[in-house]
Amino acid sequence: MSIQVKNVSKSFGSFQALKDISVDIESGELIALLGPSGSGKTTLLRILAGLEGLDEGAIYFDGENITNVSPKERKVGFVFQHYALFRHMTVFENVAYGLKVRPRKTRPSKQEIAKKVNELLELVKLQNFQDRYPSQLSGGQRQRVALARALAVEPKVLLLDEPFGALDAKVRKELRRWLRQLHNEFHVTSIFVTHDQEEALDVADRIIVMNNGKIEQIGTPDEVYENPKSPFVYDFLGNVNIFRGRLQNGKLRQGQFEISAPNYLDSHDEAVGYVRPHDIQIEKEKVDNETVAAKITFIHIVGPTVQIELKREDNGEFLEAELTKEHYKNLEIQKGDIVYVRPKQLKVFIPEDFSI
Amino acid sequence: MELSLKRRKKTTIIPGFSLTFGYTMLYLSMIVLLPLSMIIVNTLSMSWSEFYETITHPRAVASYKLSFGTAFVAGLINVFFGTMIAWVLIRYEFPGRKIIDGLVDLPFALPTAVAGIALTTLYAPNGWIGQFFDFKISYTPLGIIIALTFIGLPFVVRTVQPVLQNLSKEVEEASASLGATRFQTFVKIILPELYPAMITGFSLAFSRALGEYGSVVFIAGNMPMKTEITPLIIMTKLEQYDYVGATAIAIVMLSGSFIILLFINFIQWRMNRKFYH
Amino acid sequence: MTKPLEVKQEVPVVTRTTSNSYSLKESATVKWSLITISFLYISLFLILPLISIFVTAFEKGWETYVASIVHPDALAAIKLTITVALIVVPLNAIFGIVAAWLITKFSFKGKNLLITLIDLPFAVSPVIAGLIFILLFGAQGLFGEWLFEHDIKIVFALPGIILATLFVTFPFIARELIPLMQTQGVTEEEASISLGASGLKTFLYVTLPNIKWGLLYGLILCNARAIGEFGAVSVVSGHIRGLTNTMPLHIEILYNEYQFTAAFAVASIMSVLAIITIIIKNIVSWKAKDV
Ligand SMILES: Nc1ncnc2c1ncn2[C@@H]1O[C@H](COP(=O)(O)OP(=O)(O)OP(=O)(O)O)[C@@H](O)[C@H]1O
Ligand SMILES: [Mg+2]
Repeated sequence: MSIQVKNVSKSFGSFQALKDISVDIESGELIALLGPSGSGKTTLLRILAGLEGLDEGAIYFDGENITNVSPKERKVGFVFQHYALFRHMTVFENVAYGLKVRPRKTRPSKQEIAKKVNELLELVKLQNFQDRYPSQLSGGQRQRVALARALAVEPKVLLLDEPFGALDAKVRKELRRWLRQLHNEFHVTSIFVTHDQEEALDVADRIIVMNNGKIEQIGTPDEVYENPKSPFVYDFLGNVNIFRGRLQNGKLRQGQFEISAPNYLDSHDEAVGYVRPHDIQIEKEKVDNETVAAKITFIHIVGPTVQIELKREDNGEFLEAELTKEHYKNLEIQKGDIVYVRPKQLKVFIPEDFSI
Repeated sequence: MELSLKRRKKTTIIPGFSLTFGYTMLYLSMIVLLPLSMIIVNTLSMSWSEFYETITHPRAVASYKLSFGTAFVAGLINVFFGTMIAWVLIRYEFPGRKIIDGLVDLPFALPTAVAGIALTTLYAPNGWIGQFFDFKISYTPLGIIIALTFIGLPFVVRTVQPVLQNLSKEVEEASASLGATRFQTFVKIILPELYPAMITGFSLAFSRALGEYGSVVFIAGNMPMKTEITPLIIMTKLEQYDYVGATAIAIVMLSGSFIILLFINFIQWRMNRKFYH
Repeated sequence: MTKPLEVKQEVPVVTRTTSNSYSLKESATVKWSLITISFLYISLFLILPLISIFVTAFEKGWETYVASIVHPDALAAIKLTITVALIVVPLNAIFGIVAAWLITKFSFKGKNLLITLIDLPFAVSPVIAGLIFILLFGAQGLFGEWLFEHDIKIVFALPGIILATLFVTFPFIARELIPLMQTQGVTEEEASISLGASGLKTFLYVTLPNIKWGLLYGLILCNARAIGEFGAVSVVSGHIRGLTNTMPLHIEILYNEYQFTAAFAVASIMSVLAIITIIIKNIVSWKAKDV
């Protein structure tokens, strides 16, 4: 089912949680909703599910205005951040709930319900846990029960609020792969909220980045990561080094030091260049003015990558670089060395529309 | 870590263990334990046949039925209306909500004798309320139930209220988005969360009602075999200086209420085991 | 890559939907019916009796009302009730604080049993509470003969009334303080002691400020019950007019003698006390939430 959100605004008292939000989502997409705490992700999801009313705007499912349709009739599966399992019901009863509460005319028979629930429990790999109570399950298991329960009613849209928020890193990774597989199988239009940019980049078809009740950018993981539309998105999607300077003739100048920025040809007295740590190259000799001297203050080896913290010799600002282990070995550098840092790829923003 | 914590607790630097322990034990023994043990001592001095005859006297048996029966019915009424009032107070905003919330405590604060005479007068055949009914309320078991309902209301409201307050809204929302009607959500999701508190409230109200004397004597009419509650039988025997008989009845009453409270605790334990750790 | 779908309607629909569905909330009809029923129930069982007390008390005019209250027997009853409360409440308060300190600051075996025993008086009928003191101190009681020989009167006198009231109100303050002090733990006290403060100083300056609202709450409830206790006191008092009649007993006597106006006049004083109790209780629990 496709979803259109048209100019939706929502306030809680005098606080505006959503400001004129518009999004189009195609049928079958898996969307990640990314943004800092308090940016309105949960609010948007709850409005889609009909759990929250809206002040202005409208929501369409498959082109049909459902703004005033009750949550009961929206056919939306909602997975809550803290699972919201029914703790006085077994796993089986939890999953069966949505089928059992149907009006008699459309309610499946007992056997059909049991069959369906068993299928779902098999899908979430919990067939041996059907008689347990939620308090007897681990966090990851509870999360899967919540998912099975939402899927039982065959929703047209699946909304997941930080589905893996409360789980440890390993289980998170496992579950998100599994969510991707599940999605490939069922093709239910799905939106999941996450704080974790890696998670969003890893599994989503498209990412919606929110900030302060507004949408900053919508795009594929590649687009959003490689072509952030605003400093906020750039900053939010990973670590970043900042170079302030003057933009002139396709170069960002900082005294002697200049970085080539061939895509930016207009001039500005104040501009900020953003460089990802892995776009920073470390050289041992000064070759030209496109490098700047820095002292290595810290070397941190994490598996196959090496993170290097540096302090610029000219202005004392800190930089962060990321190398492969192999590259690092070839360089033969160590803490305390003075090296030359070369930004390879630069994204320039002019500070008018700054929001960080 | 845990071990050291435990040891630290045992050798706490906070002073006063022996002093507070000694005082607590002394005071508890003097005011509660020693006096209460007199019931057992006095019962033991009775012969079995004497004891059996006293406690199975038809008047006594009728009073057990009445006391337990009315306390039970009043408890049920309170569970129903108490839960409803707790719901209304927590979930709805309306003018006068704070005043009603405060008034719920009235039965805790108002002396039982005062409540007793007020209710009796209200529900008497010519009273403000009694005049509208063509059957008697005061001086019948119905009157007793009204008095006991009055006494027990705050127990249920005050135990259900905090539970309702802390219920997670998400569970209700999950139910709604799974397609349940509001009524289904209430019956299948909210009510089961409230059961333990409702049972606790019931057992508190019930045990208070069972022993209640002040508010009941006035409205009961105190007719032997009909509206004579067990505490009144004890009272009557005391007035006739029949201490042995009074003790015998007292022990039946105490055992009865302990058995029922144990049973309620057992049910609750079974329920809790299900879904709390 | 993914092209946004064309939306058929061009003009954004402006709606304001705050409670758009009755699957999340009850309908207004249900809501207002529940409020109405609750209101009627409270009126019928709580408000109407309260009003009727004052109406009946003033039925025969202000003068009769005042006369009933300044009657020597009534004044004696008021005095006795105040005396009892002034003795009982502090005694149980001291016990409550000591027991709560013991239970929450130390770990020892049998703690749960102790808590159950403290709660025991709640499960005992007031009439039985009176009975046990008769069995101890009455003429045929355990100490009856000894007391008679030494000419000490406990039962049918002030000491008996105090003992019975102590028993009935025994758990109130301890019960309020134990859970409160449990959640506060021992760290603050340990810090104070390790800084060299004595146990008493620690209690006064560290513990007491933390528990003052809970303590006040317990005092209020204990006081209300001490003033209003009827069954237990009725058993041990002997109903000697002007001597061992507390206010509730005085009300009973007047009522049984068909002096309804006088009975309700005294009852109205107790009702005012009850209303004050409720008001203070609400202020206290409101303050306690603030802290
Ligand atoms: N019921 C409510 N009443 C008042 N304010 C609310 C309510 N719900 C949300 N808000 C406010 O709206 C803003 C957005 O909240 P929302 O829960 O949507 O954030 P979020 O992006 O989901 O944050 P998080 O990542 O922390 O979950 C917050 O500032 C929050 O305080
Ligand atoms: Mg959120």
